[in-house]
Amino acid sequence: MGPLSRETWAQRLGAFRASPSAFMAGPEGEDLGRDLLSDLRSEKLSEQTKVSLLALSLEYPAELWPDTPAAEAAVTSLLDTLDLLPPRSSALRRPLLLAATTALVAGGALGPTSGASLRLLPLLLGLASGRALGQGIGPSSEQRPLQATACECLRELESCKPGLLGGYLGLLRGLLGQGGPVGPVQPLSLLLALALRNTLAIQARARASLQGLLTARVSPTGGGPWNWTLAEEGDAHLQPQVSPWLASEEEECGLSALEPSPEEALELRAAVAQLLDTSYLLTPVAQAQLLWQLGWALRGLRGQLPVLFKPQLVRLLGTAQLTLLHAVLALKAAFGEALFTAQDEALLLHRLILAAQHPALPLPAHLFYLHCLLSFPENCPLGPTGEEALPLLLEPQLCCGLLPSLLLDPMALLARLHLLCLLCAEDEEKEEKGQGQSPRRYLEELLASLWQRAALHGGPRALATLCFQASYLVAHCLAGQPTVLRPLIRGLAHLYRARPVLAPHFVDLLDQVGSELGEPLRVVLQQEVVSRPGGDEALGWHLQMLAKVADRDAQSATLSFLQAAAVHCTNWGLQQALLQVCRALLRAGVGGGLADLLQALARQLEDPDGRDHARLYYILLSHLSAPKLGVALGPSLVVPALASSLVAENQGFAATLMVQEAPAPIQLSVGARRAEGPVPVLQLQVEVLEPVYSLELRFRVEGQLYAPLGAVHVPCLCPGRPARPLLLPLQPRRPAPTQLDIRALYTTTTGLTCYAHLPPLPVNFADLFLPFPQPPEGATLGFFEELWESCLPKGTESRLWCPLGPQGLEDLVSRHLEPFVVVAQPPTSYHIAIRLPPDSRLLLRLEKAQAEGVPVVLRTDDWSVLPLVGDYLRGLATAV
Amino acid sequence: MAQRAVWLISHEPGTPLCGIVRFSRRYPTVEKRAKVFNGASYVPIPEDGPFLKSLLFELRLLDEDKDFTESRDSCSRINKTSIYGLPVGGEELWPVVAFLKNGIIYACVPLVEQTLSPRPPLISISAISQGFELLFGVQDFLYSGQKNDTELNTKLSQLPDLLLQACPFGTLLDANLQNSLDSINFASVTHPQKQPAWKAGTYKGKPQVSISITEKVKSMQYDKQDIADTWQVVGTVTCKCDLEGIMPNVTISLSLPTNGSPLQDILVHPCVTSLDSAILTSSSIDAMDDSAFSGPYKFPFSPPLESFNLCYYTSQVPVPPILGFYQMKEEEVQLKIMVNLKLHESVKNNFEFCEAHIPFYNRGPITQVEYKVSFGQLEVFREKSLLIWIIGQKFPKSMEISLSATITFGAKNHAKQPFDHICIGGTAYLKLHFRILDYTLTGCYADQHSVQVFASGKPKISTHRKLISSEYYIWNSKAPAPVTYGSLLLLRLLFSADLQAAPDCR
Repeated sequence: MGPLSRETWAQRLGAFRASPSAFMAGPEGEDLGRDLLSDLRSEKLSEQTKVSLLALSLEYPAELWPDTPAAEAAVTSLLDTLDLLPPRSSALRRPLLLAATTALVAGGALGPTSGASLRLLPLLLGLASGRALGQGIGPSSEQRPLQATACECLRELESCKPGLLGGYLGLLRGLLGQGGPVGPVQPLSLLLALALRNTLAIQARARASLQGLLTARVSPTGGGPWNWTLAEEGDAHLQPQVSPWLASEEEECGLSALEPSPEEALELRAAVAQLLDTSYLLTPVAQAQLLWQLGWALRGLRGQLPVLFKPQLVRLLGTAQLTLLHAVLALKAAFGEALFTAQDEALLLHRLILAAQHPALPLPAHLFYLHCLLSFPENCPLGPTGEEALPLLLEPQLCCGLLPSLLLDPMALLARLHLLCLLCAEDEEKEEKGQGQSPRRYLEELLASLWQRAALHGGPRALATLCFQASYLVAHCLAGQPTVLRPLIRGLAHLYRARPVLAPHFVDLLDQVGSELGEPLRVVLQQEVVSRPGGDEALGWHLQMLAKVADRDAQSATLSFLQAAAVHCTNWGLQQALLQVCRALLRAGVGGGLADLLQALARQLEDPDGRDHARLYYILLSHLSAPKLGVALGPSLVVPALASSLVAENQGFAATLMVQEAPAPIQLSVGARRAEGPVPVLQLQVEVLEPVYSLELRFRVEGQLYAPLGAVHVPCLCPGRPARPLLLPLQPRRPAPTQLDIRALYTTTTGLTCYAHLPPLPVNFADLFLPFPQPPEGATLGFFEELWESCLPKGTESRLWCPLGPQGLEDLVSRHLEPFVVVAQPPTSYHIAIRLPPDSRLLLRLEKAQAEGVPVVLRTDDWSVLPLVGDYLRGLATAV
Repeated sequence: MAQRAVWLISHEPGTPLCGIVRFSRRYPTVEKRAKVFNGASYVPIPEDGPFLKSLLFELRLLDEDKDFTESRDSCSRINKTSIYGLPVGGEELWPVVAFLKNGIIYACVPLVEQTLSPRPPLISISAISQGFELLFGVQDFLYSGQKNDTELNTKLSQLPDLLLQACPFGTLLDANLQNSLDSINFASVTHPQKQPAWKAGTYKGKPQVSISITEKVKSMQYDKQDIADTWQVVGTVTCKCDLEGIMPNVTISLSLPTNGSPLQDILVHPCVTSLDSAILTSSSIDAMDDSAFSGPYKFPFSPPLESFNLCYYTSQVPVPPILGFYQMKEEEVQLKIMVNLKLHESVKNNFEFCEAHIPFYNRGPITQVEYKVSFGQLEVFREKSLLIWIIGQKFPKSMEISLSATITFGAKNHAKQPFDHICIGGTAYLKLHFRILDYTLTGCYADQHSVQVFASGKPKISTHRKLISSEYYIWNSKAPAPVTYGSLLLLRLLFSADLQAAPDCR
């Protein structure tokens, strides 16, 4: 595709700017970066169009060349374009340098292995030092602006890669020169200040000395490789700034690790003095940058360096420039007493108070100065840092001009109101002595005027918002002062009476303030609402208000208000609002009269949805205990508060009235065997991870192997408290092992009913063993023989080999078969009789044990148990 | 110290979006640093569309503020500075410096060179003041000498090139954009080495120095026993120095006559090279005494090329130039008003113009007026519910004039008649507008002979003075009026007795 016309480009750029992401996703997105680079060399496009192309690349390099290789190629192409420019004056050189620098940094290509970096850096340094490389670029008239631009590019590169110019400090100092600068002062000064700051920080972190960096004169045109030493050191990467406001003593030691030799200290001093001496040649914003940089650079460094700033201070304090005064405050924070005596501090504070109200300054500046005043970096701070507070030196009479008045912009009013609140808080003790016109009195009057304005019928929402913000601010700052809160409550109640339409603001205020104001205000507002006739035109607002403030107190008044109001609730919205109040009362645990009201509503409301709700509430009220009701109607645990109240309500019910599936906080295990009684009984050990109430355990056996099992109930279980074992009688229909499927149903401390599926428990074959009733003494052998004979011919006989562990036969019998032994002749023979429910028997004769096992003869009347017996006996040796 | 992005947005109420992005500029290299500095708390700069929407909502400039919206109207969302957090794509972009002036919203996002959680205090962020200065600079550029929308559009179209000059990488080099514009034009001139960065070139031509002192007088008058009237003078000294040489030195002295009121709260232009400590410390926030420094006030400086404000000051003159009272009473369907104004004898009785504007808020249109003026004439603006009493160039010999009138209003129509949230019920004011040429209330003047210029050639020196009114209010004394703390405090100083001082604001 050939070069695009000017109009096409204008269109394309317009489309891109409208939404870069949409454009890049479209069909033209992919080619934009490439077209831009190639059209920069087109002879058909005017310089102006090309500048606009470069302007785009300055803003969106990441979109045009999204990865490092693309960025690298783009920088190379931009530099080629620069080389190809004819030697006459051109508006493109400057933006080309800026674009190449931007693309290099944004694409992450800057580094010692990047060819483009190795081309751009020496070019910039050459330009900055006034001696362009090789044939030079551009006519001589352009050299000075290009020199400034090159400095700016280098400063940006140094900002993004600290230490990049660490090896060239001596060169930069030389350019600023004792015998007058060899280039534009501002760009060189700013570049030197930044490079100096970064170098000091890197060397301090590496615990290295300055190594003559301040004096080394490297020739920029020497053609040697770029010095990456400092920029590539381990600690040289970009790091979050430690601000002078936040740094603690230990962090400050950063620079104190740097101990310059006397010569180095002298050089450093000379460099800083040189920068400060010519600082008046810089624009005010640049002066401020210089001061911040030097403040950062020298903070924590030992020596007399802060004194160097002193001669600048008077000049700076006299100006109205926001940046300059801000920079002075930064120096104050960085050096404290080393630079500012107590008198200086007082003067600075005075200038700040002055600036915060000077009629010649714009409002945003006033507000920022007021913030600075309340965050003033004091020499001897008392309070906690980070919060806005009155500086110690700020006497109340100095603040007179900074107090709020109704005529101010809302933001200014709030900012100054905050100051007034701080003064009131401080003034509390003096108050009690009763001294005339106090700040507190003024505060009361101001609030009264704000309420009066908010009460204005048809006034804008912003006025109401402002009034509630002010009330909140006062309640927040002066929560502990009843003398302030009392009139505040009274005033707000009046405001509600005058303008119930502000109910949402009241609800919000009650949500935000602490109980010092919240509780008394709630009571007053409740009274305010329920003392009205039900048919007020603002009924909707009253109901909304009441849903927030209704509680157990003043029940009867509330209920009669609702009864009166019900007649007037003729539309869906009002009915819902009414039901919301009922809901709040239900939650609060209001009983008796409410039931009557709900019943009446369930009959009387026009809207079926309203009637359903009323009926539901009535049913809930009559069926649920108070705590359960509270939880059922409480804020939903499942849904964030954003959802509509109806959804939240449904979810709340779902959560509370329905059973929740939950991960089990219960662990069950099978305890020791009991082997007694008429049926086998499992002993279950239960442990819980959290308190559990009304636990019901339900057991189920797959298939028809066992008769259905009864549930086990436990009233309460607590973690850490030992619980008695639970007994589970089993009723097998066949003597076979199985697995118990277990479900638990329980109530949590929050009142939710939960349901959990527990891991299955095995019922082993041996768990079913029961002994025969003990025959009379002496008749045991005969009893056994009788049983033995009775098994055949219906049953079967088998011979098995039972392996023995190291313990031997005696131990094996005593551990596993003891309750079933009928005849014992240790250690040679045992006769064992086991009853297998429901009605089978298993008889074992254990013969004389041999080295590794014992031969067993068994008889049973039930064929089906044979494999089970085999597995059982073979497993005994390894069983614990 | 850099900005991540800058926007200019025109606020256009009534349009679907309520605003249009007129200019925006992003700084990707700064964004790269923000990502590193802010770490996990980094929030990227949104595209113009979402930014516009979010900012207008936060500044309450969308039309839809009918209903209570918690994210905007909640009482705990308090902004005490022009710095905002904007919800953007589920996260909060902070800090956003933004303010509205003359229908244009100026906004930028300063780089914070730390993590954003917890939020560092604003005072610790160097880029905040730089951002403000950038926006103020753009504002000055757009509105200096601009008269209509076409000029505004021309200036807006120059902005991309200007910012390329003044703020190429997001770090501001010069807040004076006019200077940047000049430096583009001066680019071909060879510069001497010690050229200040705030001066694009050197002046060639006839040397001349022009100094003009403009004083604005503000006042709040109540005519009440328990509230003190207040007034204040705010002065601005503007200079234009056309002098040859790289850095010519000039010293201007401001003087006061023997009975003049001392200048206070002096703020100077950054080009002033040194300041007397007496100038630095004379301030209105300390209690006044007779030893107040009364000049001459010397300002040595090296001037920039363009016209600039050498200094600002305030002063507390002993009496207001015009003292008056305004009484308004509601009688059934009519309002009865009575106004009395008295020019102080020490004030030059030669106005360029003098008018009293008497607005009636929160009422219907004026249907009928019966009036009597002792001097001047009355103009009635019925639909605007406004009376303008044109007093003219001179007060009569008695120095005292009065107006009485009975006014009837029609039915109130919210859309047409002015609404005001202060003038509720009987609370009402009249506002004086006047201008006196070749006069200052403090007496402050710049003597031509005291101007010292250290440059080649003897410059022609011209000086100008004028007094203009600004926020000169006289409140209805028959109803509550908004007061400042100063009004109450002054009174306490005057009568140390424990007064039940309070305007009845309830």
